Amino acid sequence: MKQLSIMVDLDRCIGCKTCIVACRNHHGLVDHENAMPGEMSHYIRVESELTGTYPDLAEDFWVVMCQHCKKPPCIKACPSGAIAKDAQTGIVRIDKEACTGAKKCLAKCPYDVIQFDAAGNFAHKCDLCYDRVIHGLEPVCVEVCLADALRFGEKEILLMHAEAEGKELIKKRSTQSILYVKSPRR
Amino acid sequence: MHRNEWIPTVCYQCKAECAILARVEDGVVKEVKGNPLARGKMCVKGMAGVTTLYSAERLKYPLKRVGERGEGRFERITWDEALDIMEKKLRELRERGEAHTFTYSMFPHSTTDPKWRFVNAAGGFISTGLPHCDSAKIMAHLHTFGCFPNHHIAPMYYTVPKGGLMILSGRHPFGCLDDACVPRDILNAKARGAKLVVIDPIFRSEAAKADWWIPIKPGGDAALFLGVCHYLLTNDLYDKAFCEKWVRPGDMDNLMAFIADKTPEKMSRICEVPAADIVRLAKMCAEAKSVCIDAFKSIMYGNAMDWGHVWSILLVITGNLDNPGGQPLPEIAPMAPVTPVPPAPNLKELGYHRTGPDKNRFDHYNFILEPTWYAAQAVKDGTLKVFFASECNPALSEMGSGEWRKAMTMRDEKGDYKLELFVVTEIMPSETMKWADLVLPDQTNFERWELLYMPWWYNYGHTAALCRPVIEPLHETRHANRVMIELGKRMFPEYFAFKDDLEYYDIELSGVGMSVEKLMDGGGLWSPGTAGFRKYEDAGKFNTASGKIELEWRMYADIGQQWPSPELPLEFRRGEKEFPFILVNFRTIFLNNTGAWSQNNAQLRDPVSGLDANPVVINPIDAKRLGIAEGDMVTVASSTGEVRLPVALSQRIKPGCAGLIHGFGQTMGKVAARGNWAGDNELIADAGSHLDEQDLRGGEAHVATRVNIHK
Repeated sequence: MKQLSIMVDLDRCIGCKTCIVACRNHHGLVDHENAMPGEMSHYIRVESELTGTYPDLAEDFWVVMCQHCKKPPCIKACPSGAIAKDAQTGIVRIDKEACTGAKKCLAKCPYDVIQFDAAGNFAHKCDLCYDRVIHGLEPVCVEVCLADALRFGEKEILLMHAEAEGKELIKKRSTQSILYVKSPRR
Repeated sequence: MHRNEWIPTVCYQCKAECAILARVEDGVVKEVKGNPLARGKMCVKGMAGVTTLYSAERLKYPLKRVGERGEGRFERITWDEALDIMEKKLRELRERGEAHTFTYSMFPHSTTDPKWRFVNAAGGFISTGLPHCDSAKIMAHLHTFGCFPNHHIAPMYYTVPKGGLMILSGRHPFGCLDDACVPRDILNAKARGAKLVVIDPIFRSEAAKADWWIPIKPGGDAALFLGVCHYLLTNDLYDKAFCEKWVRPGDMDNLMAFIADKTPEKMSRICEVPAADIVRLAKMCAEAKSVCIDAFKSIMYGNAMDWGHVWSILLVITGNLDNPGGQPLPEIAPMAPVTPVPPAPNLKELGYHRTGPDKNRFDHYNFILEPTWYAAQAVKDGTLKVFFASECNPALSEMGSGEWRKAMTMRDEKGDYKLELFVVTEIMPSETMKWADLVLPDQTNFERWELLYMPWWYNYGHTAALCRPVIEPLHETRHANRVMIELGKRMFPEYFAFKDDLEYYDIELSGVGMSVEKLMDGGGLWSPGTAGFRKYEDAGKFNTASGKIELEWRMYADIGQQWPSPELPLEFRRGEKEFPFILVNFRTIFLNNTGAWSQNNAQLRDPVSGLDANPVVINPIDAKRLGIAEGDMVTVASSTGEVRLPVALSQRIKPGCAGLIHGFGQTMGKVAARGNWAGDNELIADAGSHLDEQDLRGGEAHVATRVNIHK
């Protein structure tokens, strides 16, 4: 199976959150009538870590979305069989129609990335823009990334890019299908 | 109108005016992204613009005040009624011979903005807000090497070579108040081997990507770079050939004499950057293939002319003018005038609307832009009677907002408001509208025509960009430009003889052989050509009076400003004992709280995609000394105001400084008014009441002041 993947370059991510909003727009996750801060669905979030002591500081930013796990615990947890890992792409998808709203996947997701639509009674999340990528387009977050910090492609090939550019895989974070890389510290 | 397509237009969630595409499906804007024709990026604020467009809270029809100013009570009226009120008052003002007591506070999108035209036709003043912003940089470059740089336009980072040096001094380009391509361009330059140095009291995302972060005492930039210049000049590390050829005879000798005592050691004591680091930075400048500098906050500390002057000198002595990776010298592509042209106010006769003890000395400056009205002062002294405002928010986002609000409710001896009419155009409920007599519902960038024309082209790669409606305008909204054209047609038909805004833009564009139609055909963008470098070599001269670079500003000898002073701004030199911290306001890319177009945006106040808090940030070293812990509620007090806020402790701020994100503290708008946050401008003094030497050194301490902090 080819695993489609996103590579997050920590040398370039500036934590700007443009991807979050573009993703919401594209997937229609903005309820303009009722949306309130803190209550909007989001398929991506930004994390960061500041280390060191003034004035010797370092800070990294990265994005977290569905990691499209090799053995997704959400699939195992789903009582209605609504979640599946696509054999062609490795993308983990939730079938909204089949979802019964049991919310078991939300509790089992180690990355806390599954959203729940209370009005429609279904779980939803990042599907790597399945409808775009099967037509040869990149996921929206990759396309709009302000700093060109995200790259999309086959996991195997992305790893080769990282190697060619002398970037190291952050192994602790990159346990699933989203790859996190950065240059070794000088 | 348009169906299911990507339509080129322009973003307006901040002043950068990035070229974008809007995806419209069945008359609804679904998504937006950068326009590839403009090397296409769009930031988080722009992306969230769709939320503003469809917000249920948008102002839908004209409103007239029914309560007292500040109460925020309004009733619905028609556009005709609104126009009648404005016309009647302005006619009355003219009949009284007080036309010049009318002003319009706005951000002109071009020198040919129809609002500006209206103000000139009415005999009023325009207030751009620029002089206390970055016009000092513009003036410094203009005085020194005669170029007309665009304000808010950064160096061309995409031309920085391997081995080049990029210096950001109090600049937050990852916050995208520049073109949204800038963060990528900086990172690309770094990836190909350029160095990034960030000078800022606060460690932010640029510093996180920098090769070197230099924390500096706010306002110390002029001193720091004078130290750098001293090292370069006294160690023969400057571009001698360039200076011999291009600098006005005598200026280098006088510069050498002036710089003699500006040693890194001495400058270090002012800016609190170690002398060894000043020397290290100087060596980096000497060795670099190119050097470019950008600054923003640091030119808003009250010594902007000094800092802009030093900045210009450094570029000159390192030979970094109009070279790849240096300071671009843009060209001007002139639009055609729409004749007859209404005359601008005679500032020499009417005087600058600027108050303060040094007014007479200030008048020596050759500002190209009509200076800011200090509205509060002008209301007090009776020189401001009618006030229109678009795309600005003085009740919250300008210095001395408390003083401003007070002025709006001042009454004369008869009990009438001293400010006779106050009109705002606004997309969303704003703090400022609470004090308005008329609130006119404005349009978003998805609903209006607008020619965005920057005559000094090319950092963005274009000179003109067309904002066009991609959907039918919602509600009864009308764009401010159209309102002023309509009022102009009523009052000054001779100056508003064109049919509408489109014909107006067509006439202007004819000056460069363009039209609205042609602009649309070209994807909404136009530029006169490709970027050229070292154009002064072809021309054989710089665009100054002498044709040479003029390092010494001889025209300011009478006010002692022919060379830049290294001193901190007055604001930071006094009151150290009583107010030991320097408060520095700052901003983030997630929010552009200054204008109502983005401050009430649910996506930008969401903790996931935006920012929902502005605690006061201090270094743990200071907190320990004061016995303050993370999350404690503290009072932050300046000489003019105080706020109560929770504390956030962070290593990312220089000890002795306090950081506060700009633009919070709204009470209008259900999203913007969330949380118990405070506005930094409650602490920053009203400019008109606190002008001492700032007038001579380039504006006010506009984003910073001294404060004390206690539980």
